[in-house]
Amino acid sequence: MVRIFGLDDFILLLVGLQWTVLIAAVAFVGGAVGGLAIALCRVSPKRLLRLPAKYLIEIFQGTPLLMQLFLVYFGIGILGINVNPWVAISVAYTCHASAFLGEIWRGCIQAVPTGQSEAAFALSLSYRHRMRYIVLPQALRISLPATIGFLVQLIKGTSLASIVGFTELMRSGQYITNATYQPMIVYGVVGLMYFALCWPLSFWSTRMEHRMAAASR
Amino acid sequence: MSTTSLAQTEVDAGEPLVSMRRVSKYFGSFRALHGIDLDVHAGERIVVCGPSGSGKSTLIRCINMIEPINEGEVVVEGVTMGANKSASEIVRRDIGMVFQQFNLFPHMTVLANCMLAPMKVRGVARAEAEATAMTYLERVRIADQANKFPAQLSGGQQQRVAIARALCMSPKLMLFDEPTSALDPEMVKEVLDTMIWLASEGMTMICVTHEMGFAEAVAHRVIFMADGEIVEHAPPQEFFGNPQHARTKAFLAQIL
Repeated sequence: MVRIFGLDDFILLLVGLQWTVLIAAVAFVGGAVGGLAIALCRVSPKRLLRLPAKYLIEIFQGTPLLMQLFLVYFGIGILGINVNPWVAISVAYTCHASAFLGEIWRGCIQAVPTGQSEAAFALSLSYRHRMRYIVLPQALRISLPATIGFLVQLIKGTSLASIVGFTELMRSGQYITNATYQPMIVYGVVGLMYFALCWPLSFWSTRMEHRMAAASR
Repeated sequence: MSTTSLAQTEVDAGEPLVSMRRVSKYFGSFRALHGIDLDVHAGERIVVCGPSGSGKSTLIRCINMIEPINEGEVVVEGVTMGANKSASEIVRRDIGMVFQQFNLFPHMTVLANCMLAPMKVRGVARAEAEATAMTYLERVRIADQANKFPAQLSGGQQQRVAIARALCMSPKLMLFDEPTSALDPEMVKEVLDTMIWLASEGMTMICVTHEMGFAEAVAHRVIFMADGEIVEHAPPQEFFGNPQHARTKAFLAQIL
């Protein structure tokens, strides 16, 4: 039975959108925690922390997100642990976001002038205090445009979760297309929803970049 | 304030506050310091000068361990720096430093810049840290700017805040790394005046500077460095009046 794309379908898409937002939010929050840890390891004076973090980043940056998803999704199953797809997807996206945010933030930490840590060191502030009160607050400011840029990538990247069978926005669109045979309308609406989510963020990020460029002149 | 009154301030004759023994420092294969021997007693004021790349900044950066040394030892208040980590950390609290580029924390107000280390390192209560900070900001005549951010101040003002920030830790020794070199000419005096005031308070100071007027007025001893070594080492009258070494003469001829 073929039906016409209507309000019910639109609401179904909104439900899908909700899951998309949720995956992105979990990945971003998890990635922020993991990314901070990775970034701190990357700038650590200890080689034992620096190198593993470096390799981890290289592995995640050098492989497709879809492959990472498959690996975690099926990998956890092979280990004999029975997890629901939601957990598997969260873990995969969190790892992915941790690696990328870790690398972005490493660069930002290193962009804070060395004079800042030297002045803090001269005041006898401990490594923890130097990071917490001097370096990280300044690095955070520098990192905002790139971090938001990555969040946009992450939101769009959640569409890959549809391939492992998770019903987010993209997957909802596929279901509705199968029922209505109106791919142009359905995917058009799906696209607009992604756009409505991402564009304000991109806009914000660009504006912030301009403002920061003006401030540092 | 007259030159003589400053020159007569007390110098402690006992154990040196800072003692550098055969200190060498390498950056890769470049020898930045070579066999430096230097004693600084409490109350003493030393001016270090020399051409760029002569190792004068490196010398004072080795005292508070910003630069780790490769050979020899630096002893401050009887503690060999770096030998025992916690002991040297405690001694380092007594060493204040002022940088060429000020290095104020741009995301904090002037007041917060001055309060952070006393609270986090010395464990001073907020109210007390604020009172101390205001006292020193008053002394460097910048208390009215306490709630501004560093970027809102002129270079001279920022450097005076940097001096106040270091003083808030109640240091026994102050290191100055070319404190006036990044300043516009009209702001040099306000910073030098602050340093002269500090000298009159009896602070032990090691200043890397090219301000020879300051050296003449304030220093007990002037050290001339070249190629990582101390070439000449004399009281200012001798240093300027009768330099011994050819390199010192050439250097003085260029800058005076």
